[in-house]
Amino acid sequence: MKYSIARYWRERHSHYRLKAVRCLDCNRVNYPPSTICRYCGSKNLEEIELFEQARLLTWSVIHAATEGFEDYKPIIIAIVELVDSKVKILTQLTDIDLDEIKPGMLLEPVLRRVSEDDATGIIQYAIKYRPVLKRGD
Amino acid sequence: MKPEENTGIVGWGAYIPRYRLPLKEIVRIWGFSEETPKGLNTIEKAVAGRDEDAITMGWEAALNALKRAGIDPKLIGGVWFGTESKPYAVKPSATVIAEALGITPDTMATDLEFACRAASESLRLSIAAVASGMVKYGLVIGSDTAQANPGDILEFTASSAAAAFIVGLSKEAVAVFEASYTYVTDTPDFWRRAYIPYPLHGEAFTGQPAYFHHIESAVRGLFKKTGLKPDDFDYAIFHQPNGTFPLRVAKRLGFPKEKVLPGLLTPYIGNSYNASALIGLAKVLDEAKPGQRILLAPFGSGAGSDAYSIVVTEKVLERQAKAPRVVDYLNRKKIIDYALYAKYRNIIKKI
Repeated sequence: MKYSIARYWRERHSHYRLKAVRCLDCNRVNYPPSTICRYCGSKNLEEIELFEQARLLTWSVIHAATEGFEDYKPIIIAIVELVDSKVKILTQLTDIDLDEIKPGMLLEPVLRRVSEDDATGIIQYAIKYRPVLKRGD
Repeated sequence: MKPEENTGIVGWGAYIPRYRLPLKEIVRIWGFSEETPKGLNTIEKAVAGRDEDAITMGWEAALNALKRAGIDPKLIGGVWFGTESKPYAVKPSATVIAEALGITPDTMATDLEFACRAASESLRLSIAAVASGMVKYGLVIGSDTAQANPGDILEFTASSAAAAFIVGLSKEAVAVFEASYTYVTDTPDFWRRAYIPYPLHGEAFTGQPAYFHHIESAVRGLFKKTGLKPDDFDYAIFHQPNGTFPLRVAKRLGFPKEKVLPGLLTPYIGNSYNASALIGLAKVLDEAKPGQRILLAPFGSGAGSDAYSIVVTEKVLERQAKAPRVVDYLNRKKIIDYALYAKYRNIIKKI
């Protein structure tokens, strides 16, 4: 077992629901959440969730992944800008082929497997982004 | 008044993964006759991607059900997750979904196993819990990345998908449970032993003594209990292990195929086990009109079947467009070959 179970558990809400904190003094959003605003040092923070659609800003493709991530190659790491809050977050893209990626494309959050601690350890789940599902109505 | 009549479906949702394996790929790899998939009346099966499993698919179906229900997730008092492809052998899937949807901690949550009908048993449990006043809402999820021994006939249909329902009081419901009935026996038609990766089955034994006997007994039990008959129903949804069995059991029970086809998805996505009949119900609710009556009869090997009479209310119309419909997921598809399917479903042996 190589993963820290305590850390995965502690961070589960930011992984599962994009939990963040907004600083009530400087109004900046801290994601991942922290106990002190990393912009102004204030401890005057409120919890928020950033579970919203996003636009793709930039991306990179990982073809040589570290242990626990190998089966998920190629891994598309992306910086996306959330549509409502305008917060920029680092995430992964899923359900998309490399030749389908376009800057500015509209994406939506989905819960997916991110890595596995071998065949016997814990499975890590987190929000990734995929192209918005086309709807007929 | 029967306890069911106080309860109904408040929200529903489905999920089908993006990838489809044409069954001719299985013919090509394993040397089957091209006639074999035709006999199953199935063209393609849905395949979960490498980063998907029963939890992630169940999460999306449940998210869609929550969007339609429009309720505070904290009001859900029970999360019942029916699957036979738990990502962990020991550690509940239901808690991951409950946490990710903001339902925890004031809730019951458990995974149930009864081959393909654990989620249907969950539905009956949720009816009981809501009718008794023990919980305000129950979340029922059926989700499977069905396993099959590579090269086995089962591989043609074993697929991946999920369906979810929020059960609440009938006054809020898009569809009210009119009555339900369950029929179970000890019938060893399909099983998987501990530590064994793939299930085994009794070939033709899965038909008459298992699928047909249990579904027919459950539906006839419901008819006897309610006085209803096939003509009273607008839709009939049966467990769909392939594309032919549901049509055959419908004929034997006196339902024309026109009442079955709207909820028959296996020809396009395969058999998604715990989601099999329930995703058919999700698709019918996507299209149903107020006043219509639905027969739902899931089945699980081992063996048992449930029969439900469900009556659609006016509220269905306002909620149909609040989340993606089954057909939206059907239309989103990328065809893959056997090699990618083998990678995605983790059936390539690695060390």
